[in-house]
Amino acid sequence: MARDRGNSDTFVRPIRQILVAGLVLFLVLIFLVWRIDNPRVERFRTNMIDRVLPNFDWVLLPVTGAANMVSDFQSYARVYQQNQELRRELQQMKSWKEAALQLEQKNAKLLDLNNVRLDPKFTFITGVVLADSGSPFRQSVLLNIGGQDGLQDGWAAMDGIGLVGRISGVGRKTSRVILLTDRSSRIPVTVQPSGQTALLVGDNSALPPIEFLEAPERVRPGDRVVSSGDGGVFPAGLLVGQVAEGRDGLLRVRLTADYERLEFLRILRTHPAEAVSDPGALVLPGDQPVDEASPEVAQDG
Amino acid sequence: MDSASPVHNWIYRGIFLSVAATIILIQLLPLDTLPPSIPAPDVLPILTFAWVLRRPEYVPIALVGLVFLFADLFFMRPPGLWAALIVVGAEVLRARGLAFREMPFIFEWALVGAVMAAVTLANQVVLAITVTPAPGLAASLIQMVLTILIYPAAAIVTRLLFKVRRPTPGELSARRVRL
Repeated sequence: MARDRGNSDTFVRPIRQILVAGLVLFLVLIFLVWRIDNPRVERFRTNMIDRVLPNFDWVLLPVTGAANMVSDFQSYARVYQQNQELRRELQQMKSWKEAALQLEQKNAKLLDLNNVRLDPKFTFITGVVLADSGSPFRQSVLLNIGGQDGLQDGWAAMDGIGLVGRISGVGRKTSRVILLTDRSSRIPVTVQPSGQTALLVGDNSALPPIEFLEAPERVRPGDRVVSSGDGGVFPAGLLVGQVAEGRDGLLRVRLTADYERLEFLRILRTHPAEAVSDPGALVLPGDQPVDEASPEVAQDG
Repeated sequence: MDSASPVHNWIYRGIFLSVAATIILIQLLPLDTLPPSIPAPDVLPILTFAWVLRRPEYVPIALVGLVFLFADLFFMRPPGLWAALIVVGAEVLRARGLAFREMPFIFEWALVGAVMAAVTLANQVVLAITVTPAPGLAASLIQMVLTILIYPAAAIVTRLLFKVRRPTPGELSARRVRL
């Protein structure tokens, strides 16, 4: 084929092939470096996204908003029906709210009587979702808060009610949240009434399965699933969802967080639970500071 | 011969770059954060292939490599691998672009499908060899099939919207003189 293209091609083609081979080699080299020294390249990736994407939030946020508005508009068709439903729900909610208020007061009184000091760990920072992973095989979102807001890897992300994922990758102005549905997500959970601990394993489907259950027969669809805090990485007691039985017979979790529309996420400031490591030293007379400086015992909420 | 001038080529390279950037941005929009039951087709490679088959000079191979490396970085894919495979695929198509000029569209479609399948399989094989966590084979095969199915649409858009069409034989001879 080179022959009928003319003479100049006989010189151009070999040079070209060398250049293309060099380009492919360069790209494969990047892949190998990533495979060998993953954290460094991932840090580069985080920094690059951190540098580029916030410049586009003027287009990312309005376009997302407009698209959501269109889908909201489609639901106007049955606005009356929806209104009726909402009224009914509101009635139920009022009675629940009353119950919750009474319980809260009771709880506050009991805590006061016991002189319990609550963990200060449940303060949060709220971020806006800038972008998602862009690939159907990775489930993560990018937030517009990052290292300059004091974020750290491993902190939990929730929407108003349920757990959404955890921070993995913090840039200066952005940070990435790996969702519970991602393949690499593993969260220790407790299934509520039976109190069994298990792992919630993301598998890139909307309903992630529960694995390593000791007695699956004691778990029923509808049971509450909360994070267990095992391993000390994750705060305990965050609502994850409800057990549901999948079509394949696996026990899966219907997530409470509204995954269809993640817009604002709150990131819980978590500090690693302090552990009691030494059996305790003798308190000698005249050695007053030892008593005060001894490590605080971790409190279980 | 306006359509073969270097300025014209550079304008189209700019258009390719901005189209690629737009596609990447649209895919990044957090419209639906639920995992999809059917993975959406991968638009960027199929559009690149359509351009390469029609006007290789509009999509220099370095530009393809750069665009896909950035896409890899943004889409949280293993950086470099997919880009390298797409560069090889585009190069295979570029070598055969002229031969497919007079053939019916269905042959071109088959060729692109074959290249896409080879690229997807090679990607899976390399990921398996390097023990990289990879999406399931079934999911990527579904995506591959969908991607191949949208090729006619990509070809039509390339032709009608971007006015990227095959050079006529007359233009070709003019270009050869220029080279």
